[in-house]
Amino acid sequence: MLRKADYSAPIFVVAALALFFLGGLLTTVVPPIVDKSWAKPFDNSDASKGVTGKLQPYTEQQLRGRAVYVREGCWYCHTQQTRTLLADTKRSGWRGVDSPVSTPDEFVYDSPHLFGTKRTGPDLSRVGGKYDEQWHRAHFRNPRDLVPGSIMPPYPWIVENEEEFQAVVAYLQTLGRAKNWRPDNDYEK
Amino acid sequence: MQSEATIKSAGEIPVSEAARYNESLHQDTTAKLFLVSSISYFFIVGIIALVIAAKFVWPELLGTVQYLSYGRLRPLHVNGMLFGWLLAADMGLMYYVIPRLCGVKLWSEKLGIATAVLWNIIILGAVVSLLMGWNQGWEYAELPLPLDVLVVIAWVMFGANMFGTVITRKYTQMYVTIWYCLGTVLWTAFVYLTGNFAALFATGVNQANLNWMYVHNAVGLIFTPIGLAIAYYFIPKTSNNPLHSHKLSMIGFWSLAFVYVWTGAHHMLHGPISQWLQTIAIVFSVMLLVPVWAVVYNFFATMRGQWDQLRDNVPLKFLMTGVVFYLLTCFQGPMHSLRSVNAIVSKTDWIPGHAHMAVLGAFSFFAIAGSYYVVPRIFRRALFSDSLANWSFWLFLIGGVGFFVTLWLGGFWQGWQWNNPAIPFIDTVVALKPVWIVRFFSGVLMFGGIVAFAYNILATMVGSGTESSKTAAAHA
Repeated sequence: MLRKADYSAPIFVVAALALFFLGGLLTTVVPPIVDKSWAKPFDNSDASKGVTGKLQPYTEQQLRGRAVYVREGCWYCHTQQTRTLLADTKRSGWRGVDSPVSTPDEFVYDSPHLFGTKRTGPDLSRVGGKYDEQWHRAHFRNPRDLVPGSIMPPYPWIVENEEEFQAVVAYLQTLGRAKNWRPDNDYEK
Repeated sequence: MQSEATIKSAGEIPVSEAARYNESLHQDTTAKLFLVSSISYFFIVGIIALVIAAKFVWPELLGTVQYLSYGRLRPLHVNGMLFGWLLAADMGLMYYVIPRLCGVKLWSEKLGIATAVLWNIIILGAVVSLLMGWNQGWEYAELPLPLDVLVVIAWVMFGANMFGTVITRKYTQMYVTIWYCLGTVLWTAFVYLTGNFAALFATGVNQANLNWMYVHNAVGLIFTPIGLAIAYYFIPKTSNNPLHSHKLSMIGFWSLAFVYVWTGAHHMLHGPISQWLQTIAIVFSVMLLVPVWAVVYNFFATMRGQWDQLRDNVPLKFLMTGVVFYLLTCFQGPMHSLRSVNAIVSKTDWIPGHAHMAVLGAFSFFAIAGSYYVVPRIFRRALFSDSLANWSFWLFLIGGVGFFVTLWLGGFWQGWQWNNPAIPFIDTVVALKPVWIVRFFSGVLMFGGIVAFAYNILATMVGSGTESSKTAAAHA
């Protein structure tokens, strides 16, 4: 094959594409077929099987907020995945309770997915319900007022557009809440 | 042994015959257009790179202008460098190299010119849409759908020209550069369709898996093969030396073709994706060491007994330094994919250090070397200044190493801190401030390299070349 591909463009093309599709199909098309949890929304009401809860589809307002999150590139600096690392479950935790790790069934309604590759700021996979609207308003206006040393950019244009701001907060409050893992001491309670 | 001798010379035949070939056969208009525009974008996007590096140190900088916030400029930096500069420069060099390796004219110069125009429309469209925040939300695939469609059209036009030239070739045997070029054309087409179109039909983890298959292979099956195509041509060419082994170059090529595509899921190690898929990605990531070493050994062996040429041959300096960076970055990659290492370095500032070594340290160095070699030839003028070229090399090298090493150290430290949950997250941010300051000033040096390179090339193009630098052309 090698020698022939050296002289013949058609043989070369067939071999190069065959190798590509072998790996490509087995790692992209096959996995979601084998692993059903990639497409099935999280839903568990049986406490003996672990943490309970149900993944809800986004509301229209939450989707608008998500679009702002995408537009402003929040996802370049904030990941949305509590990994299978002890430290991640502690950092995503709240008031002494460790967070469960993220599972595929929690992200079924996400498009674009926002798992992220860089953590310049903290992970947001379990941030929903931790900070109230007041906090987010002040934080978007100038992050350093609330978190000295932060390098997050200020977002005055979000705060000044009330409709947009409300949508972003509505989206952020959904993050990581399919699973009822937290103690009942949200800002809401 | 007998066959080994013929194979060895096989790599040499087209390269050396090209020199004997009548140069006036080639019009090179397409190559010129691609090189002029890509080097201009290198400079413009370099300014954006400096701005975003500065924002890490001074977060209020331009903070109230929404079009210039970090979240808008970062994708512009990434897309501008990858598609405006690097891929366009690589394509420009292919428009020069492939016709010469085939011993014929470019299949269609008109089609090539149209491709160059379309490519510039895409890049300008990308600038507008990314600043406006019209972002698809996928890394490396930020461009909105209409621009994606134009990219596909431009790529088909590029591919048609490459295949058309190869099919009408005079030399029957295809030098390894031709394979890498054709491989890039084919794989890029499918990788790009997966990342920008197939991903539209999936959500959540399934979509992420397609996205990372694309992200990983954008580097592995676009920039790597087209970069190696350039290195395989210009290392023998600039050192006036036959390639060490044609057979080894085949092993490197086919093992790359087999191994690379499996590794996308290593971007989600420890993340919410099936463990078995993570393990497959790890196994194949480690196997990447095979094609990498096959390629790098071949380049080193080509230079055996010729290393003294590095003293005053600037394109060769860029090429061989690029090979070293290529080896290092491809050693890091498999190591990052090991779960224990990944738990420390993943998501940290180590990663941009690694990524910049690949696309700047290795592949941009190859493209810069190619530009220094090609531009004086296609414009038929001596290089404007040899000493400025040498300056550009040292600025890139010192700035680059400063950038990479600082981010590795900082990122490793950061990952170590993250794994101790007793340390509040904000403390790990504050701790990195000195790292980001050094990164910014390393960036200033690298930008100095861009300025020296771009000025030298543009001055050569407009004919500011002086008599004194004629030796550069004679050296060719």
